Amino acid sequence: MKKTLGRIYILIIMLFLYLPILTLIVLSFNDVKSMSVWGGFSLHWYAELFQSRLMMGAIVNTFSIAILASLIATVVGTLAVLGMAAMKPRTQNVLLGFNNIPMLNADIVTGIALMLFFLMIGAPRGYMTILFSHATFCIPYVILSVRPRVNKNTDRLYEAALDLGASEKYAFCKIVLPELQPGIISGFLLSFTMSVDDFIITYFTRGAGINTISTLIYSEVKIGIRPSLFALSTIIFVVALVVLLIVNIRQDRADRLKEVKAAY
Amino acid sequence: MGELIRLEGIVKSFDDTVVLNGIDLSVDENEFVTLLGPSGCGKTTTLRIIAGFEKPDQGRVYFEGKDITDMPANQRPVNTVFQNYALFPHMSVGENIAFSLRVKNRPEDEIKKKVANALKLVNLKGFENRRIDQLSGGQQQRIAMARAIVNEPRVLLLDEPLGALDLKLRQEMEYELVRLKKELGITFIYITHDQEEALTMSDKVVVMNEGYIQQEGTPQQIYDEPVNAFVADFIGDSNILSGQMVDEKVVRIDGVDYPCIDGREEGFPPRRRVDVVIRPEDIDIVPYGKGQWNGTIISKLFIGVHYEMLVQSEHGKVEWLLQNYDQHDVGEKIGMKVDPENIQIMHKPKSEAESAIELDL
Amino acid sequence: MTAKKKSYSIPFILWIIAGTVIPLASIAYYGFTSREGGFTFANITAMFRGDHMQALGLSLSLALISTVICLLLAFPMAMVLRESKYGKQGFLIFVIILPMWMNFLLRTMAWQVLLERQGVINAIITAIGLPRQEMMNTPGAIVLGMVYDFLPFMILPIYNTVSKIDNHLIEAAYDLGATKGKVYTKVILPLSVPGIVSGITMVFIPALTTFVISNMLGGGKINLIGNIIEQEFTVNSNWYLGSGLSLVMMVFIILSMLLLQKFDKTGGANLI
Repeated sequence: MKKTLGRIYILIIMLFLYLPILTLIVLSFNDVKSMSVWGGFSLHWYAELFQSRLMMGAIVNTFSIAILASLIATVVGTLAVLGMAAMKPRTQNVLLGFNNIPMLNADIVTGIALMLFFLMIGAPRGYMTILFSHATFCIPYVILSVRPRVNKNTDRLYEAALDLGASEKYAFCKIVLPELQPGIISGFLLSFTMSVDDFIITYFTRGAGINTISTLIYSEVKIGIRPSLFALSTIIFVVALVVLLIVNIRQDRADRLKEVKAAY
Repeated sequence: MGELIRLEGIVKSFDDTVVLNGIDLSVDENEFVTLLGPSGCGKTTTLRIIAGFEKPDQGRVYFEGKDITDMPANQRPVNTVFQNYALFPHMSVGENIAFSLRVKNRPEDEIKKKVANALKLVNLKGFENRRIDQLSGGQQQRIAMARAIVNEPRVLLLDEPLGALDLKLRQEMEYELVRLKKELGITFIYITHDQEEALTMSDKVVVMNEGYIQQEGTPQQIYDEPVNAFVADFIGDSNILSGQMVDEKVVRIDGVDYPCIDGREEGFPPRRRVDVVIRPEDIDIVPYGKGQWNGTIISKLFIGVHYEMLVQSEHGKVEWLLQNYDQHDVGEKIGMKVDPENIQIMHKPKSEAESAIELDL
Repeated sequence: MTAKKKSYSIPFILWIIAGTVIPLASIAYYGFTSREGGFTFANITAMFRGDHMQALGLSLSLALISTVICLLLAFPMAMVLRESKYGKQGFLIFVIILPMWMNFLLRTMAWQVLLERQGVINAIITAIGLPRQEMMNTPGAIVLGMVYDFLPFMILPIYNTVSKIDNHLIEAAYDLGATKGKVYTKVILPLSVPGIVSGITMVFIPALTTFVISNMLGGGKINLIGNIIEQEFTVNSNWYLGSGLSLVMMVFIILSMLLLQKFDKTGGANLI
């Protein structure tokens, strides 16, 4: 009884989450440009999408900015965690407080603030300003992911390495970094997804003539929905599905491996 | 003292693993019963069935003769002290203890009085307003006790309550538990894998393994007369040696024929292969050649009060474990002597005994 | 001896100064500066202008309604998830996370496609002979869009805390005589507060400040405070007024967070 109720509830939520996406996927194969009439199967909205120079440029921008911003954020954030660990708890808390601001602040405020900053220093808005802004809101996520992995144990391992004759550099690269690695990787991935997904901050910090996927969608939707956007939705959904599946399966395998190892 | 709780033929499995294989158990009013066994033996599942957290696949649970198998946990006249205490972290000490009274909508002044009383019983008077995370492990343990007894249950179930405490605190709490039980005058069903705890506090010890009850009895009986090698091995250190009855009341142990007390009446006819238990503290060291067995000390450890030694016997290449207050050197040749009443003869586990007989023929 | 040197933090500190401190300071500067360059409170008090107050009031009420609906939908979901078998749990979490990976503009657009006058839902309605409904450009459409976009952000943090509640605590409550209802109100709900609080923050703040959802599903006819601020920057180029209104909005955000923190006695999120 209770179980069936739970199942029905899950089903309702799933329908709510997926019916809109499913609608887009179905319409992306619709031959006619209608949201309510089925005119037969066609792929020509996909063709239109891939022939759009604007869209291809936006895709390149989105991913190059995401990769660069995440890399910068990962390096700056990881170093920051190591540096903060050497500070007094009070100083650490102050820095963490500042670190939290971009995460807790409304995106619109962060975007406006950065835009005003670029205007004030006279930086021409474009690729570089978007990149700087994305790194700014990604750093906090890296710090949040890496910080829990720095603890007394890291110190002890580092000291053990030095005790066994390793140089400081060797101990850092071979002991400290591998210890932090899971946090660094998840910080990088989190940054990457936040950057790809961002619209609001990009919207305020980009200049005319440069687009990411998000800003391009926004300007197109404002003019009128074209079915090529349905095609884009379908592609993004499938890519997300595949990537998440791979991550999950790998995670599953790692978990199972751990279980097997623990059994011995 | 009448019977309070009875388990009849309890069978329980999780997925494909059988955890309880037909447990029959009777607990008397005001008894301190300990379920003792290694992890995975089914003792916790037994307790959870009594508490009402699990339903047995087969078998019934009776309370004062009434079938309570299907009664939900919140209506049973039993309360539990959980292994990890399970104190509500969002409530103060006082609120934790008051919980069972609050959910029954007892009047406020009664709650206050009973909480104060329960705290006094566990020697934490005035702790009402402390937060749970301000307490030490030992204090949390006492609060868990106070919370479980405040509603005056007929039976208190304790699931390894001392497991997380250090040795000194644990010994202190053992006395405390016995005192508490006396003051409350209720039944305790206690779970532990620690044989010392079991022997110290219980009126009755129930040794379990692999979902079966191996032996039930007073601590004295369990220690002195283990019924099989598992119980002997689990309760204290012991030498478990293979032996064979060679005559009426004569058993051959480690190549020496030895007159014993048990015989055909106890189910040990001549030629029967048996297990023999000799506790290490029951073996006396005598000059070489003056005992029943001879051997050489091959290792020695000082463990606080006494020495523990391993002796390689000359007869059948068996290693004996000895505990002795006197100092002997490694390499010394000694004689070993055991009184007949300290030799416990046991049946071989069934399958092994059968194959042994086949080999004999 | 340690692998940590304070100097490693220097790039981070510089980045905070350039990326967070100075930009926020410039909002404050513009907010208190008039177009002519003098000091003024006019940009702040402009919030009390009729149209601005109306937008703020509508933003607050729509954000509040969306947050409450998300909470009501998410809590039972988190409990169902908690009680599911381990493998199934992983699958369900996966299914909840997946839509979050789709660009939220596209997800919002999907509702436009569904709700439009010529959209999917109206096509179904008219096909079974019912009159066409006007669903777009209503506050209801905006709430629907907010709930759809932000629901996973409510489910996940609540699930995270609920799934960590030790089963023994629930058993202990039953053992001490609590009924099912009492177990929920006295144990499960109070212990879920940290998750509920962070869920509320993750839904309420973006809902309060959005201009995208209201633009796409409100057809530009319904102005939220986010729309007003956005237009000051992009259409009217009045950064002074836009900054002033942003400052007031920030005050609202901080106040609501402080209010929330009061409920979260365990001190979950480390708020500004």
